Amino acid sequence: MFVHLQGPWSPLFGRLTLDSIPYGNPIIQFAFAVTVLGGLAAVGPMLYYRKTGYIFREWLTTVDHKKIGVMYIIFGLVMMFRGFFDGFMIRTQQVMADGPNSPGILEAQHGYLPPSHFDQIYSSHGTLMILFAVTPILTGLGNIIVPLQIGARDMAFPTMNAISLYLTIVGGMLIMASLFIGDFSQAGWVGLIPLTELDFSPSAGVDYWMWAIQISSIGTTLNAINIITTIIGMRAPGMRWDRLPIFTWTTLSTSIIGLTAFPILGVALALLGADRYLGTHFYTAGLGGNLMLYTDLFWIWGHPEVYFLVLPAFGILSEVIPTFSEKPLFGYITMVAATFAIAGISWAVWLHHFFTMGAGPWVNSFFSVATMLVGIPTGVKVFNWILTMYRGRITYTTPMLWSVSALILLLVGGLTGVMLANPAINYTVHNSVFVVAHFHCMVLLIAFTIFAAIIYWFPKIFGFMLDEKSGLRFFQTFTIGTTLTFTAMFALGFMGETRRLDYLFNPQWQPLLIVEEIGIAFYCLSVFYFAKLFYMSIRDRALNKAGPDPWGTARTLEWLTHSPVPFYNFAVTPRVHQLDELAWRKSQGIDHEMPDHYEDIHMPRNTIVPLAIGVFAFAFGFGMVWRIWWMAGFGLLAIIATVIFRSFTPDHGYIITAEDIARMEGRPPSGIVNDTHAPLPAMEEKVTP
Amino acid sequence: MSSQQIDPLQHPEVQQASLRGYISGYGVTLAGLGVCLLITNAHFLSPIALLSTISALALILLIAQAFLFFGLDFSQHNIWKTFSVILTVPLFVLSIGLTVWMFHELNGLTMLPEMPGMPMQPTLLQ
Amino acid sequence: MDAHAASPPDNAPDLWHYGHDGNDPMAMKTLGFWLYMISDALIFGGIFAAYGVLDQPMGFYTGPTAAQIVHPGAAFLQTITILSSVLAYSLATVAMKTGNKNGVMLGIAASILLALMFLGLELNDFATLFAQHATPQTSGFLSVFFLLIATHGLHMIFGVLWMLVMLIQVPRFGLNTDVVTRLLNLRLFWQFQASVWVCVYIFVYLRGAS
Repeated sequence: MFVHLQGPWSPLFGRLTLDSIPYGNPIIQFAFAVTVLGGLAAVGPMLYYRKTGYIFREWLTTVDHKKIGVMYIIFGLVMMFRGFFDGFMIRTQQVMADGPNSPGILEAQHGYLPPSHFDQIYSSHGTLMILFAVTPILTGLGNIIVPLQIGARDMAFPTMNAISLYLTIVGGMLIMASLFIGDFSQAGWVGLIPLTELDFSPSAGVDYWMWAIQISSIGTTLNAINIITTIIGMRAPGMRWDRLPIFTWTTLSTSIIGLTAFPILGVALALLGADRYLGTHFYTAGLGGNLMLYTDLFWIWGHPEVYFLVLPAFGILSEVIPTFSEKPLFGYITMVAATFAIAGISWAVWLHHFFTMGAGPWVNSFFSVATMLVGIPTGVKVFNWILTMYRGRITYTTPMLWSVSALILLLVGGLTGVMLANPAINYTVHNSVFVVAHFHCMVLLIAFTIFAAIIYWFPKIFGFMLDEKSGLRFFQTFTIGTTLTFTAMFALGFMGETRRLDYLFNPQWQPLLIVEEIGIAFYCLSVFYFAKLFYMSIRDRALNKAGPDPWGTARTLEWLTHSPVPFYNFAVTPRVHQLDELAWRKSQGIDHEMPDHYEDIHMPRNTIVPLAIGVFAFAFGFGMVWRIWWMAGFGLLAIIATVIFRSFTPDHGYIITAEDIARMEGRPPSGIVNDTHAPLPAMEEKVTP
Repeated sequence: MSSQQIDPLQHPEVQQASLRGYISGYGVTLAGLGVCLLITNAHFLSPIALLSTISALALILLIAQAFLFFGLDFSQHNIWKTFSVILTVPLFVLSIGLTVWMFHELNGLTMLPEMPGMPMQPTLLQ
Repeated sequence: MDAHAASPPDNAPDLWHYGHDGNDPMAMKTLGFWLYMISDALIFGGIFAAYGVLDQPMGFYTGPTAAQIVHPGAAFLQTITILSSVLAYSLATVAMKTGNKNGVMLGIAASILLALMFLGLELNDFATLFAQHATPQTSGFLSVFFLLIATHGLHMIFGVLWMLVMLIQVPRFGLNTDVVTRLLNLRLFWQFQASVWVCVYIFVYLRGAS
């Protein structure tokens, strides 16, 4: 209508035709096989053990923040695996396609991936890893831990919490769909303009990328609203601002970034969408458009986004390091101040992502100085962690190993970041793999803290410890892989290798590329150990049961609950007296005190609305991608109708009586499911729904 | 959580609705925008002075609305709303201000200067 | 974990909290909605940044300049209608203080009518521009001009829809907690539209005319 679409369009199927499905591509066939097997492995046991009702009742319709958090993390880990596989394919292509005499197989002249396919792979690698792996896992961790750390029963808006989860999953599903129906964006995770305009990317790929990000961003913004309101309004009595655990403080500042920065991304992509769907001229190379406008708007979001990712990682470090140093965190006030300083300054540095694009020396200098300023609060944090460890009694459990290694990665990544903040250096290494190695150090430190957090808090949520030996092997292989791959990459960056290349012209890079490939081999080994870790731990779970404080030296409020945490969190809301409340109670010898009586608890009820909104959102996204207007319109109207309909049938939850709580508290905890639904093995009393 | 029914109409946010506040907000905004319109149409200020004046008036009107319409103050009840707005204002200043400055510099460095004979002026709308 | 701990000594600190836990669900819901409005404000901020970039000669291309398409005098009529709509709704919430359901309904109905008048004037403005071949596809400047006004208009349309739903819910459920919370949130939403209009009027219509 307003735009010139290449290819056919029909009212019923939009741009979708049978040709959109890449039947003949052997790599896609392989991906399809892996996906089908993975799906069967997940769904098969559920059907075999007839657990579909249980899964629907307890997980798919849940509003419990812990289960939602677990689903976020599982989703994020699956996407991280796919993102890792993309990374593996990139590395293998580059080591094979080095030099004019390098061989080519399948459809490629060099290596095994033709350029268009390679471009889609690095675009999906970036998009998946940043937005669909790390973000959901960190969001999930915040979801689980923050209400427990502040002594609340759930988040402020439980249903909206589930809606955020499903919107994120829908974004990931769109990217998975792009594997098998159509193609994905070839313009990088950033969306290089004007490559993303319809004239230069006529296929559905960029539309997949755009809608996946837009839909999941709405989920992220809603989650930010939820967390901020929860932290402000639902703290337990006595949980003053100066007693808040640092992980909660960092989650608060992260959510403030999520609330304020993501709308700008929405605008940047909406303007691109207007260009692609309505033929406007926001970013076109002619008719009054401005290419730099996209770059500007994208990075106004893009820089706070990376702090959105790293601040929860800093919060995790601030929880794990004191626990395994058996010392309180050094410098509480400066930690909090540094967190907010980082969040605030991060809004004034975005141009350092495009120093080379002609803004001139005054502008570059301003942003350069601002970028270097961010290093100061970060340095404060690093010194605080080191001083926490100093003269502490350090135990090198796997979470502590991950955390200390993360500190080393932070040092390397941070220092190379300060180098990049200098425009003179930046001009020589912009768009080289030096930059790639820098930011991989940063996101890998986030990954390290994620693994630390998962192992650290797993016993609290599931009630049994993870196997330390497999965990150690996982850590070792992952760390060796990281060191090999990215040390070589820094060197290659200085030697002039630019990024996003499917073919490398200089055979002298071959030795270092081989080193990187060996690094990837270690990563592959680490995936095996990761799977082994969970397999063995789940297999041996009866032998490794965890009590409320399985590590022995925990300090914060979430370790006061049972392990696994009952669905109502605390039987009676605790009263908080000090920072590190549990450590204080231990010092007074009262950490094992239980309430002597119970009261009725009001809990929110499970609902199908979030799942329904997720399904409709997928219909909207898929319809918009393929320009199937009836599907997109139906999806959008169905979401609006669901929201309105739900407002007419409010559900105020249900009451658990004090007797039920006493009964559930009196026997060993059986899991994070709602115990009032499950029939009790040895008791025949009536349960109150 | 208590299941007692508290009368929602007694909640401070309901009770803070003020007839005087709303009518004043209405009047102040309308008057302020009217003044801006008159100044613009009178054409007695230079472009820079005009832009500064109406920008300042915009800021004053927004603050007036914050107070008269939204009821923002530093009372314990409204403190979070006020605080969140105050913290968000710098974000607007940074993102819009630095963008405009950056593009001003960029245009000066990269765009062709207008020369006689080059069709840079837009055609008049008929 | 020992479930039958001995009772704590007499001078032990209070470890557990009984009774009402001090949460104010209504205040939390309005705070949550306020936070959403902040993110909405930043959407407009982003669009204004785009406007600042495209509102200059290269952005006009061969299409009209801002001065040629904005009519601040006529737009003042839009200003009056939107502010009156906001006032009408605000007066509805004043009526809500005393539980005056009829006052609430009257205020909402008046607000809807005035909002529809505002939208009608705006659509008329658009139609005139389209007839003069000034469409969003003509130039970068026109793209952002139409987008900014249309985004504000879209918010108004959603607000009207919300008001229509409330016109059904107030008589049906009365002024219970849920309905009152929604009316408070709608007030925040609606007053915000007036604030955005102040910025649009000054930075698009008045600045464009000068």
